[in-house]
Amino acid sequence: MKLTRPTRRQHPETIVALIDVVFFLLVFFMLIGRLDASAPFAVTPPVGTTGTDLPAGGITLSISADGALALDGVAISRDVLATEITDRLARTPALLIRVNADKTTQLSHVLPIVSMLEGVGAKDVVLVVTPVAP
Amino acid sequence: MAALHIRRAPPSRTGISIVSMIDVMIILLFFFMVTSTYLNLDMVPAVDHSDDPAPASPLTSGTGAPATTILVRLSADGSTAIGGQVLSPPDLAQVIRDRLADDPLTPVVILPSGGADMQALIGLMDTLTTAGALRLRVIRLDASP
Repeated sequence: MKLTRPTRRQHPETIVALIDVVFFLLVFFMLIGRLDASAPFAVTPPVGTTGTDLPAGGITLSISADGALALDGVAISRDVLATEITDRLARTPALLIRVNADKTTQLSHVLPIVSMLEGVGAKDVVLVVTPVAP
Repeated sequence: MAALHIRRAPPSRTGISIVSMIDVMIILLFFFMVTSTYLNLDMVPAVDHSDDPAPASPLTSGTGAPATTILVRLSADGSTAIGGQVLSPPDLAQVIRDRLADDPLTPVVILPSGGADMQALIGLMDTLTTAGALRLRVIRLDASP
């Protein structure tokens, strides 16, 4: 008599756990990611150890090392900047303006901009710093 | 005589394939992993209208500050000075601590050179804040027309 051992059924690997892990990673990256307009030039903020947490929202005014300006990632000239800020402040009086200047930017490029922002009525202007060198 | 029972085979249940969903999820995951940037950013207030009002007119000389105000000059090379005396950051912090010992609310005014860079200003503000300065201001000289 010839006995044949029944062939084992190959159970496919369950991929439910994989899907769970991928889904959690996806949600994680979607939550922590902040879609922020980056400036058309490189900006390395100065290191500041006494800064406080940077709130979300508002607009970002980037200033490059040579004084070039970008508002929310779009290059803008100094002449147009005051008008643009005034228009935005008219729509949102409590507008938060983040001044993200490069650490090597001369203050002659930064301080007049901050004075202009204060002059057009901006009440919430902050300088962006980083607690540790990037 | 045995009865013949004919049973219809149950229809096979074909599950919905989730392979395409997994593909989409992995593509989305890859997108968010690649586009996410980890920036640990803080902020330093530059304009705060809750403080006392700023000087009514732009200063045209360093003598415009009140006598009780501590005026710290920041040179283009990043050096700091009080009353014409150049001080290193530790010495500056000690001087500020001594001056603020009597009145912690004494205003500390920074007069930076336009040639100084942002890092020098933020570093000076860190030093002064750590030394206990509560009322810190940055002023600048307007060029005459």
